[in-house]
Amino acid sequence: MVMRPVPWQTGEICGPDSAKSLNKATQLKRVFTKSKKPLLIVGSDAVGMPHGKGDMIDYAIALSEAGKIPVVATGGAIKAFIEKGFEGAKSKGAMELANYLQDESWPGPHGKGPHDLILVYGIPYYMQWTLLSAVMNFGTHLAKVTLGRYYQPHADWSFPNMKEKQWHKTLDEILEFVGGGK
Amino acid sequence: MHMKKKAHFKADEARTDLGVFKGLEVRIGQIVDDEWDEPMGPTPMPSPTGLRSWDHKLLTKYTPSYMPYCQVCCLCTFGKCDLSGDKRGACGIDMKGQQARIVLAAANIGNAAHLAHARHLVDHLIDEFGPRTDLIQGPGTEIHAPVSRLVTGTRPRTLEDASIILDYCESQLAHTLSATHTGQEGSWLDFESKVLHVGMIDQVSMEIADLVQISTLGFPKADPEAPLVDSGIGMMDLNKAIILTIGHNIVPAASITDYITEKKLGAKVEVGGMCCTAWDITRRDPSAKVIGPISWQLRYIRSGKADVVVVDEQCVRTDVVSEAQKVKAPVISTSDKAVMGLPDRSDDAIDSIVDELVSGKIPGAYISDHHKVGAVATKVALAVMPKRRKMKFFPTKKQIQKMAQECKKCSECIRSCPNDQPVMEAVLAAQTGNFEPLRDVYRNCIGCARCESACPNDYDLHSWMVVAAEADCEAETYKVRTGRGAIQDTEIRSVGQPIVFGEIPGVIAHVGCANYPGGGADIHEMAEEFAKRRYIIVTSGCAAISAGHVKDENGQSIYERRGGEFDAGCVLNVGSCVSNPHIAGAAIKIAAIFAKRNLRANYAEIADYIHNRVGAVGISWGAMSQKAASIAAGFWRLGVPVIVGPHGSKYRRMLLGKAEEERAWTVYDARTGDRVVTAPGPEHLFYAAETVAEANVMTAKLCLRPNDTSRGRSIKLSHYIDIHENSYGFFPEDVWNYIRRESDIPITLKDKILAQMKENKWKERTIPDPTLLKELVMGGGK
Repeated sequence: MVMRPVPWQTGEICGPDSAKSLNKATQLKRVFTKSKKPLLIVGSDAVGMPHGKGDMIDYAIALSEAGKIPVVATGGAIKAFIEKGFEGAKSKGAMELANYLQDESWPGPHGKGPHDLILVYGIPYYMQWTLLSAVMNFGTHLAKVTLGRYYQPHADWSFPNMKEKQWHKTLDEILEFVGGGK
Repeated sequence: MHMKKKAHFKADEARTDLGVFKGLEVRIGQIVDDEWDEPMGPTPMPSPTGLRSWDHKLLTKYTPSYMPYCQVCCLCTFGKCDLSGDKRGACGIDMKGQQARIVLAAANIGNAAHLAHARHLVDHLIDEFGPRTDLIQGPGTEIHAPVSRLVTGTRPRTLEDASIILDYCESQLAHTLSATHTGQEGSWLDFESKVLHVGMIDQVSMEIADLVQISTLGFPKADPEAPLVDSGIGMMDLNKAIILTIGHNIVPAASITDYITEKKLGAKVEVGGMCCTAWDITRRDPSAKVIGPISWQLRYIRSGKADVVVVDEQCVRTDVVSEAQKVKAPVISTSDKAVMGLPDRSDDAIDSIVDELVSGKIPGAYISDHHKVGAVATKVALAVMPKRRKMKFFPTKKQIQKMAQECKKCSECIRSCPNDQPVMEAVLAAQTGNFEPLRDVYRNCIGCARCESACPNDYDLHSWMVVAAEADCEAETYKVRTGRGAIQDTEIRSVGQPIVFGEIPGVIAHVGCANYPGGGADIHEMAEEFAKRRYIIVTSGCAAISAGHVKDENGQSIYERRGGEFDAGCVLNVGSCVSNPHIAGAAIKIAAIFAKRNLRANYAEIADYIHNRVGAVGISWGAMSQKAASIAAGFWRLGVPVIVGPHGSKYRRMLLGKAEEERAWTVYDARTGDRVVTAPGPEHLFYAAETVAEANVMTAKLCLRPNDTSRGRSIKLSHYIDIHENSYGFFPEDVWNYIRRESDIPITLKDKILAQMKENKWKERTIPDPTLLKELVMGGGK
């Protein structure tokens, strides 16, 4: 298993810029402190992806509630949020988001923006890669953190293809960090 | 446009004062069409800037959203140039310009492939049948070649006319290709306009290619009852010698089926195709078989069942020779575009080539003389078959289990898989004799074999998957309807009005390649979802094959249980990649037949008509190639939205609208000249969907058009709401925005929608006679 901050899909190399390796929850302290209006983006792969006693949709709900972070679901992941009784999520296509996130004045899917930070996971790796490329190049007003296990070079912070156990642990630390968890 | 008189002179030998000329052929002038009373429109054979203002209307409404696939430019020796942030390259180009430039390069490559294919066909068929051979699209197609009429202002009636139209296409491709050179075009907007231009040229090139082959090679002619043919790996008869043909160009494959027919060898040899050659050989000879889409190449070659592999052009695996060598199958390459490193045996005697191939002295041969290909391929297949049938090419499960013990657990197979399939976990399961996980991977595999290249143990992982899924391969036995060609004018007459008024909720075309994110069954699922809702479903290319590779509870494919007419609830396959213009042509013919608009060189008006009235959506779920890019661009210029699968995001830019920006959705009311705000329909022009669920919701939404009647709008909204609720689990929040008058509201959902309208302070709107073109306002819009 690769444990380095290199693109998870080997061909998806980018250009001169690449994300910093996220190994500990505390590394995000400054990002969270600085951000006033974060947005959590959750893709279809999060549905059924195990985490703790639930899945990565449950994690999104917990993170959203703990940090008062609005959620936007892509690719139909909204259905899983609704089925779990979470009404706060909105739905948008990943490509629509990639477009809107380039606009500094976009009020966001809940009208609570403009956002200054995006937290992303669950979109198929290569599609998340392209979404983040749009943001990195044309949405420079946004800080970008990916919470998926695999390294996304176009983020500011990304897990470095982390071992599964360690990744889950760090996710829980992040949740605690924003006021949730145990 | 003034049409000059033409002259054509051909002689085997001509003695003149200048000397003796052998094989002399002289051609002067352009197409003369004195009998056509339709007046010439404003844009015959437009230059790259001839329709720029139309393009700008589209590109203002659907602004490109770039997602750079690479932050550097390495196209010239100034570079590499870092274009990240707001940097510019040494030539002055910025990131958006560079992305648009690469999109144009891709569209040019795609068009070059279709155009060169068309040129080869036309030249070959002129040699075979003569330049004056009539072009016939089929019964009930008075408006034959609608795309060529629309773009060039001419009617191709003979092979020679087709050649002249290709001259025009070739000149345009040279211009748009040259625009990608360093120091040419600089604006993303103009790069994008040229993308649309070359897309339009691509539609003409493909239309000519299909028209000439339909006219001369015995294909179904606009036939809704084109034959059902055998399809799937399990359909191939191993008691016969098998010739596998791969690619897109019918000419060499036709030489094979013709030879087999002529020599009455059908009981001993059979021909199966992959990719578009599969469709075109079955259009010519329904006893041939469609083995599978492009991504089945490797699994079938590796199986060793093909005794000879014949490749023509486009989408052929470039390692075909080394792969075929592993199973001792000779390869015959036939196209000057894809010689594959093989020795040229074009001028050798047939028996001498056969001897060399059968003996294994050479791994394959390049044979440009198509007349020889049929005899060589058949003779070789018959000669090598008895010996090859005794050979085993795949490892046994036991051998795989043993080899799998050495897996290094490095994950490189997963990292190299485009679909992130759990290949390593499947290998680890195989260590214990559990082959089900490998079988699951096979079902989602696109056959690229990148996992093998990455494996440090050099495992033949793709072969292992095929072994694990042996039963699935054998069960691949389907009936698919071969390509019918054009849509008849009479069919358009009966559905034109319900389509334009919205009562047939949409025309959905599944086209393109097989780079599926989760297996080919998705195509069937999407097609069936909308066919059962009485949309018209059109298919072509590899998508047409995959649509037919699912059986219902009665063992029938979608083509067996649904009609092949251009009508509500039917599923019709037009044919191969080059048949795609029949889909565009149907939309164009709606404008001509139902609305009586002039087609001749009248591109902007017809595109405006289609964009505002015809609820058509193209879906290329497995879009992979540059050809798919140019095909999509041809639909964009007609204002037809295209949805691709998640891998399509790698085309690096979408064409997206923003629903909340009212100004973008403002049209002229052609009756009054007033500017009228409409609902955002179609909301996007190019869109990559993450999942089938998202694609279905978006498909239903993109069928909405400003011109829908209240009844039509209500029907379309009912489907949109139903699919949205099923897929997303909630009532869509934007329905109120699509209600212009209360009569638009689907009656069974009235309370819910009225509440939503109230909440959003809805106001009644007029239903305009919509147009983006001021000149189409009655009285000229003054």
